[in-house]
Amino acid sequence: MTEWLDSFLLRSLLAGLIMIAIAAPMGCLMVWQRLAFLSDTLGHAAVFGVGLGLMLQLMPILGVLAVALLIVFALNRVSHFNSALSETTLVIISHTGLAGGIILVGLSPARTLELESILFGDLLATTAADLLSISLTALVLLLILLRHWRAFVAVSVSREIAQAEGIEVRRVQLLMYAMIALLVAVMMKVMGVLLIGAMLVIPTTSARLFSRSPEQMVAISALFGVGALAGGLGSSYHFDWQTGPAIVVCATALLLLTLAVTRIVRFQVE
Amino acid sequence: MTADLLLQASDLGYSAGGRRILDHVSFELRAGQITTIIGPNGAGKSTLANIVTGLITGFEGRIEQRPGLRIGYLPQKVYVNRLMPLTVGRLLQLTQRAGNHEISAALAQTGVAHLGGRQVHSLSEGELKRVLLARSTLGNPDLIVLDEPTAGVDVTGEIRMYELISELRSRLQCSVLLVSHDLHLVMSQTDQVLCLNQHLCCSGQPESVSQHPEYLALFGQSTADSIAIYTHRHDHVHDVSGEPARHSHD
Repeated sequence: MTEWLDSFLLRSLLAGLIMIAIAAPMGCLMVWQRLAFLSDTLGHAAVFGVGLGLMLQLMPILGVLAVALLIVFALNRVSHFNSALSETTLVIISHTGLAGGIILVGLSPARTLELESILFGDLLATTAADLLSISLTALVLLLILLRHWRAFVAVSVSREIAQAEGIEVRRVQLLMYAMIALLVAVMMKVMGVLLIGAMLVIPTTSARLFSRSPEQMVAISALFGVGALAGGLGSSYHFDWQTGPAIVVCATALLLLTLAVTRIVRFQVE
Repeated sequence: MTADLLLQASDLGYSAGGRRILDHVSFELRAGQITTIIGPNGAGKSTLANIVTGLITGFEGRIEQRPGLRIGYLPQKVYVNRLMPLTVGRLLQLTQRAGNHEISAALAQTGVAHLGGRQVHSLSEGELKRVLLARSTLGNPDLIVLDEPTAGVDVTGEIRMYELISELRSRLQCSVLLVSHDLHLVMSQTDQVLCLNQHLCCSGQPESVSQHPEYLALFGQSTADSIAIYTHRHDHVHDVSGEPARHSHD
């Protein structure tokens, strides 16, 4: 068991698959609730968390989680019941977090972390310990999703109906925000803070073209995610591309291919 | 609380953004009754409905509900994100599980049984309203709250919609709280009218409300007359397409 976990390619493949298993449902929920931009904001602000972690000599992931949770709780307090988060607020937080984080990382005495690996992640450097923390987080998130799936979907369709018919919308929303913060904190290791949003949104968008139900969209989006992961790892191996960016480029290539194919098929049917 | 009392609101008040929206509003909802909230734009009608459904918290006054009160709700507007694939059948099961039989029965009640497999995005506004009305009746609610159920529906469709609501009330034995501004169409199907303009101007049976000085000040004598005319002329129904259909009026 531990022997084949020693192979770095297998470890990264596993980490990637686990990440996709959780990114597919979370990505769908975020797209449905128009929260796609929030993952970007948290991702960028996560750099500040990494910097903070380095300054305080804590594990970077703890700094990231602290900053991400702080942001989502603050947003939850200021956002009104029925209004989407303000784009302007998100952009300000996003870039201030990134800028402040880069300064902190630069000042940090122990230069143990490369800025590049924070920004773009390093799937191929996944350690057995990383794999364990990713698996545990994904397991927790998946269990919460399974338990509250109907409520999450209901809130995505109509907060008004959900609340009137007995779902505690604000609590569901807060839980969702906290889950996004956790997701960003663990995905950072694999995808890097700049590319997290891509993995939550691009496969999901491809999946929308074929789905008739919310659950179907999650399943198909996971398939597109696996495709992007395989393509990304493959091109990283063969052409020496950086893994994270290669996965994102493959995801977009799949989306464009899918769009083209569905157009052609529809054209011929008509 | 007596047996048929579903909900009692005492001295409700609400302010938002420095503006007083509701002031000293008290009323009761009883089992099997249709209660209509009418009033001009900005009178606080939707706010009052939202307080009843629990959407708005932080209001003044008190709401007492019968324990275990089940509410079905039809909001004024529903925008389903186009990125969300959703069939009508799944929309009906948004907050509770339901069997295929229950779903088709609910849809049949409002005349849209054929839409069960359609995507929500492909529905017209009138179709969506009927689907949402069917949805609000699932799971035997004690109270259905309908916020402007006819917005976006044409006039003949509107008349049919109110008749439908009245039929549903009799069939499901539930109470209905209706927000509306189509006074003359609503009045004939209503047991209790709450005439709202921040405060409760007047309330009671439609006939007495329509002669109340405050009501007349808000809506004018001509509207009051047209209600009387409408109730007398009401001797036929329109089907979905607007064609008059024979109908035994009892």
